[in-house]
Amino acid sequence: MRQDTAGPNVVLLTLSLVALAAWLGLDTVSVAANRIVPGTGYRVAEVIGISGALVTCVPWLALAGLAWRPTPRRLALGLALVVLMLSALPVWLSLSAVTLADSAQARLGIGAGIWVALFLLLLLMIELRTRLVLSRPIGWALLLPPVASAGLCLALWLEPLALWQEYRSRSGQFLGAVGEHLLLVGVAVGTSLVLGVVLALAMRRWPGVQKAGFGVLNFLQTIPSIALFGLLLAPLAWLSAHVDWLAALGVSGIGWAPALLALVGYSLLPMVRNTFVALEAVDPGVIDAARGMGMSRGQVFRQVRLPLALPVILEGIRITTVQAIGLTAVAALIGAGGLGTFIFQGLGQAAMDLVLLGALPILVLALLVDALLGALTDILRPGGAE
Amino acid sequence: MIDLIHVTKRFGVATAVDDISLSVAQGELCVLVGTSGCGKSTTLRMINRLIEHSEGEIHIDGQQIRRFRQETLRRRMGYAIQSTGLFPHWTVARNIGLVPRLLKWPAARIQARVEELMALLGLSMEEFAHKYPHQLSGGQAQRVGVARALAADPDILLMDEPFGALDPITRESLQDELRELQARLHKTIVFVTHDMDEALRLADHLVVMHQGRIVQQGWPLELLREPADGFVESLFGGEDRGLKEAALLPVSQRMQPLGHDLPARERIGQQASLREALSVMLWRHAERLTVVDDDGQPVGELSLRRLVGARRDD
Repeated sequence: MRQDTAGPNVVLLTLSLVALAAWLGLDTVSVAANRIVPGTGYRVAEVIGISGALVTCVPWLALAGLAWRPTPRRLALGLALVVLMLSALPVWLSLSAVTLADSAQARLGIGAGIWVALFLLLLLMIELRTRLVLSRPIGWALLLPPVASAGLCLALWLEPLALWQEYRSRSGQFLGAVGEHLLLVGVAVGTSLVLGVVLALAMRRWPGVQKAGFGVLNFLQTIPSIALFGLLLAPLAWLSAHVDWLAALGVSGIGWAPALLALVGYSLLPMVRNTFVALEAVDPGVIDAARGMGMSRGQVFRQVRLPLALPVILEGIRITTVQAIGLTAVAALIGAGGLGTFIFQGLGQAAMDLVLLGALPILVLALLVDALLGALTDILRPGGAE
Repeated sequence: MIDLIHVTKRFGVATAVDDISLSVAQGELCVLVGTSGCGKSTTLRMINRLIEHSEGEIHIDGQQIRRFRQETLRRRMGYAIQSTGLFPHWTVARNIGLVPRLLKWPAARIQARVEELMALLGLSMEEFAHKYPHQLSGGQAQRVGVARALAADPDILLMDEPFGALDPITRESLQDELRELQARLHKTIVFVTHDMDEALRLADHLVVMHQGRIVQQGWPLELLREPADGFVESLFGGEDRGLKEAALLPVSQRMQPLGHDLPARERIGQQASLREALSVMLWRHAERLTVVDDDGQPVGELSLRRLVGARRDD
């Protein structure tokens, strides 16, 4: 607490100085003559000269300065500065594109300097948001200017950006992949939610089921995903060869069927565990009062136990979904489609920008789902609407 | 009216309540007191069938409780517990309206009843109706718990250490409130506590339990003056019994009419307990007090001799 008023904010200070060092010391962009050859890196000073580079130090130093004697006013100013700097990153890329990409084939890569700066700026933003006690919606609104800036720059100047080129040559495929990815995740999480709730209820009723159930689920969780896909290959291939309607449905040893099965298998443990714990953890005094007041079993469950457990169950859905979004990427290996396809294609072709085209949306999806379900949990917390 | 007839409760091989018989009259506040694990809570919870008794019979107004559906039986009785058991996701008003809603009262009647009860327990409607339980102090939450127990105007109220988790000052004021409420509402109340002072303050009918059995029951002063055995005596605190008894007797019982002497300077209300009178004397170094009525008019005097006067003088 003392740190807030008297001393410097160490977190802000460190982050902004580290970011400055990374910004100056690492390559911010790289330029390659074509898609396959490795590019040449350029530092800030190599793009706009030493004096220009010194100018770009000003906002970082200003940020560090504001952190030295933090008052709410200065922190707010710092937050505005961070938003401005985030919005300026695409502009910097545009500037580099215009200056450095001399031929039509030239491709602009995003360098380590920008990634580090982006990451640290986001951390700074979180720190400032927490210090200023801003609500979630405001936090999200703060991301609008940088996103708008990125969109504008992509439309106007960033044609040579390698990531953008990879996207444009596959835009149709990209949307399809996002769709497949979300469908797989959605169906897997939906199925495991239904199964998970049923299992959790069965475990509450029969303690025997609880022991056996958690045993099996824990075991499933320990099998590496690739191995699980492999294990499912033979039985599913056999099934599709012998059961006509399964084959007609498109079930086979590879493709969506094993992917979905594996995803459901992995999703069950966090889902069941959270649901079970959530239902068990409701204050026994509350349940005792509910029964003592004359609520029936069904009423106690529907009106008391379930609503009180809901935030923790949602937490389980959140963890499961984020985990499934990541796992689905691996499922591309067995031909299940999704964004993982780009990652493995890119790895095969040694085209890192294609890998990014798969990896970045996965990251964004995971963050979005995390934030949305987190917000929903907050809303549903008992008495939390106040 | 509640009758327990040779009631026993076993959990596996352990006997929690061992062949107890107890009759609680209409409008009586019956306090079950004893150390933890003596079976007092189990006894209470058998009355609303949160625990089913193993042997014997329990009757409510002459009817066996097993004749009723559990839910129907429980909705006829108020139930208040130490942890309040308020639903954290419901507002105060909704919590209080729980049983009327279970009984499918019309919304307007529920609303009116909630307002009435909040007024009865000194909870202002504007301030508290829309608060959630976590925004209340312990005393306020327990008031809401009592209001909720009274919501459907049950004849019987079961209270399981309702004030046990409160600080002493809040606890005493809630005890006073409960006594005032009881003077107006005349419910049949079974109240469980391990606090002997609380038991003596509240009880019309005091039941001391030990190891699943009733060791003594009756009028509080009776138990205090003639404990059945060493255990009951030790519960009353041995040498502390004099003060406990003094706390139960009003000044009006020992005072004498105003004499010819000058009235004493220090005053005490005639409804105050002898214990309070003694405390005033100790504090003020006074051997005589003027006893006044509710309007502050002198009605008698109390000397130290009269105060400590041997019991047989009554």
